[in-house]
Order: sequence, then C-alpha cells, then structure tokens
Amino acid sequence: MAVIGTGQTKHESRRDDVSMQEMLREASQACLIDAGISVGQVEALVIGNMELFEGRALPEMWCAEGAGFSLKPSLKIATGGTSGTSAVIAGYYQVASGVFDVVMVVGFEKHSEGNTGTGMAFTDPMWDRHVASAAVGNFALSISQYMAHRGTTQQQAAMAAVKARRNACNNPYAHLQMPDLSVEDVLNSRMLAYPIHLLDMCPTTDGACAIILASEKVARKVCPKPAWIRAAATLHDQPYIGDHAERLVTMRTLKEASRRAYQAAGITDPLKQLDVAEIYDPVSYAELAWYEILGFCKPGEAGRLIEDGVTAMDGELPVNPSGGVLSTNPVGASGVIRVAEAALQIHGKGNKRQVPDVKTALATGYGVYSWADVVILSSSPQ
Amino acid sequence: MENGAESRELVRIRIDMDLEWKFARGWSFGEFFRQFKGGNIVGIKCPQCGRVYLPPRPVCGNCYEEMHEWINVSDEGTIRAFTVVYNSITDPVTGRPRKTPYGMALIQLDRSDTLLNHYVDQIDLSHLAIGRRVKAVFHEERRGAMSDIAYFRLLEE
Repeated sequence: MAVIGTGQTKHESRRDDVSMQEMLREASQACLIDAGISVGQVEALVIGNMELFEGRALPEMWCAEGAGFSLKPSLKIATGGTSGTSAVIAGYYQVASGVFDVVMVVGFEKHSEGNTGTGMAFTDPMWDRHVASAAVGNFALSISQYMAHRGTTQQQAAMAAVKARRNACNNPYAHLQMPDLSVEDVLNSRMLAYPIHLLDMCPTTDGACAIILASEKVARKVCPKPAWIRAAATLHDQPYIGDHAERLVTMRTLKEASRRAYQAAGITDPLKQLDVAEIYDPVSYAELAWYEILGFCKPGEAGRLIEDGVTAMDGELPVNPSGGVLSTNPVGASGVIRVAEAALQIHGKGNKRQVPDVKTALATGYGVYSWADVVILSSSPQ
Repeated sequence: MENGAESRELVRIRIDMDLEWKFARGWSFGEFFRQFKGGNIVGIKCPQCGRVYLPPRPVCGNCYEEMHEWINVSDEGTIRAFTVVYNSITDPVTGRPRKTPYGMALIQLDRSDTLLNHYVDQIDLSHLAIGRRVKAVFHEERRGAMSDIAYFRLLEE
C-alpha cells in the first residue's frame, strides 16, 4: 500500500478566515487534487483530532461536510500528539485488511477556538490534576533527567530549534518561519519552565492535513511515484507521568516501535539507510532525545549530531525539512503532516524543501509518552 | 463608520462558562484516600513482579496481574527530576492562573517504584538536583485529596 496524495492548509496561529469545516475542506480538496482522484473514489475516512482543543463536542462530526464523507465510513482516533500518525496507521490497517482500496486520513486542530491549556490540565482528577503544569511542565521534568544523564546542553537544544524554524522558511505551509533566528535568540527568549525557553517549544496552530492511502492495485494505476508504506508500528504504554523512571531518556514506546518498524523494513543502520526523517519534535530537547532512541547515534551523541549538521538540510540525514512540530503544531494534524511530508519527499514534490533522491523516509509520532508511532515509507514496494 | 469591536464580532464570538465535575474514586483510589486522610501513604504491590505502584490501580501495567497487597510508603523520598515553572499556567482546580515561579519535582517515595509529581519549596535552581532528599509537608486540614500535601520540603544534605 502507498500514500498517493497529500494536502494541507496554510498553518497559522489563528485561521479566522475559515470555520472548522472550511479548514477541513481546504486540506481534503488539496489532497484530492494532488492524488488526481475524485472524492467519489475514496471509500472511507479516518480522522485524527483531540477532544477539547476545538471547544466543541464531536469535532469529527464536521468531517462529513468538510471532507466530503456523507454516508461513508468515518472513524476518529485520539491519542494525544500521536493522533495523526495513529490515524494514518488505522487507515493502513483498513487498506492492509483488504476491506478498502482507498482511504483518506485527515488530521486537524483549530486550537484558537478551544482551550488547549485547559485540555492539557485535565489530567487524572484523583492524582495529579492539582499540580498539572501543562506540556511545558511535563517536558521540563523529563528534560532535567535527559540533561543529567546525557550531558546535553541548552545550546545544543537551541540549535535544533533554530534548524526547525529556518527549515520552515522553505515550507510555504509552515506556521513559524524565522530565517534570522539564532541560538542566542532562543537562549534569550523567556524561560517557560527550566530549561525550556519560549523558542524551544512548539507553537499552537490552526491547520489540517490529509493524505490518501491506496492499495497496491490502485496506487500503481493512479500514482506515478507512490510512497509505499514498508512498516507501521504504534505502541501504547502506562498512563501516569511517574510510571516510568526516565521517560525521555529511555522512552520505551518509541524505542520498541522503531525496533519493530526497522525490522519489518530491513533497516539496520538508520542514519545510513534513511534519506530523510520527519520526527515529531514538540520541544527542541525531544528532537535530540529521539535521535538517540531512533538509533541515529549512540546515547549521549545527539548534541554532537546537531553541532556537526548531520541532520541539517545538507547533512547525511536531513531531519524535518518541513520545520517539524517546532514550527507547526495543529495537534491532530501534526502526525498526518509528518507522514505527508515524508511521502511528498518520495513523490518528489518537496519544492524548496525537497531532499535530493529520497528512497526511504521515516515519520514518527509522540503522544504524551503513552503512545509512540513509527512509519517507514519507500520509493519501492519491497 | 464601522465600530472596531462590532466588526471583530463578525469574525469571532466569545462565550464564557463555569463548569462543575464529579468523578468516581473507584475502589483503589477509595482505599488509598481512606488511608491517606489518616496520615498513611500506601502503594499497591504486584504479586508477580513486586513493583509497588503509586497511584494505586487494580492491575499491574507490566504483568496485568490483579493487585491486592497494600504497602506503607514513606512520606520521604528522592528527587528524580525537577523544574522551576515560570510560565503562567491555569490551575485546573481553580480555573485561575497559578502564582509563579514555583518548583516541581518527580519524587520517588521510599518503598515505592513509581514517581510522584508535586511541588517543592525551592525555586533556586542551584539548590535543586536529582538525588536531593525531600519530605512531604501536609496541610493541617485533611480533605482526603492529593492536595492535602502542600509541597515537599528539601531535607538538609
């Protein structure tokens, strides 16, 4: 099976020019045009979206009109930051099962209309809600361990933040495009929670992204350069922040999901065998931690990787040519964007953000440590 | 002349609301808070792997064994992760912004295997470190909720 088309909206902090269903339509139409098929050819829809973040009940209900899916199967996936990649994997299961030949996956979030902070604060009311300190507070705790164990510095994390916002300048859809951003700017930006500065953190974004998955039979017929899905792994784990002693350092969901996906796709040396990676980087430090967990380098070497430019656009393994989650974060869409951006690198439609001659691409998702997703795409089906 | 506020209303509408919620404690949290109100912190132990869980729950997340053995856990523990929060965050209990800055830590209470996130009484980063020992400070009035612990106090090194 392959990704045969992708489409996304312009991502901004507030899309006041469109309602939620208009925003969905913007992405789904762009995707259909890119795939060169009509909505009538799409058999089913999978939706990635988080509750509470739009401030209205059943945000997925609007997809029938927004994405053109009245009287069609339409199921929603909500797994935090992984919602988008999990929705892609749910679509993968649907096509792999043989039930459908063509499935659209659409992820969206209109953060400006809901209350993301409140949504994030709704942790277990019995246990830790009274101290809940949002994504920033949770990450800050994990990062203190990561820095202590691996010696990663604030400067090295800031370099990842700079890379993301500069890469985003090549992506016309990206939210934060900052061509002149420097490491000093990141380090001088307001401290949110030690050691996370404002510019180390992802934004909240309004936006949507759609992809179309097709069986091999259909993909060969309609798509000149299908992005074949070679492996897809999604793993869930225990819920509480304190359930695992060193979450960011060892993140066992992502480690195990990548091990399984690499094995399925025959990848033994990810740095050499992958041509591009779109990884879910909600905070600069996490991008570095994921380098180690995804096996791009040995534990403790991620700082050197970013310093040496190994993951820059002209490096051995460009990471996040799109600008990543650090530049654009409509949560339910962010995972779909990772897969879409990985696929369009194989489609050869990256324009200014195109990495030359991409054969194998990685996309990942991260959902509050309780979920991790890994998808591997290839220019060849086997 | 078009009024600015009126024209903005054509783009976005504003709705304010107050909400009230009630949650069932369930049997594991019910027993935990019954003991907690009396001054005991208890974890629950997996009969297979021996892991002592805080918060308590009916089954071990690793072995999927039912757990029934309650273990007295200390009110003292060790900092495993820390931060100082400067960003104004809405307190989900009051709905109002929390006063900043404040110290937070993931604390491993002695005799438990999981970590508890709570406030620490220190915002000077030079005093916060992984490995520092802390002790729970309780409010005088106990309601049988985790907020009965006001914060964790750093113990002398």
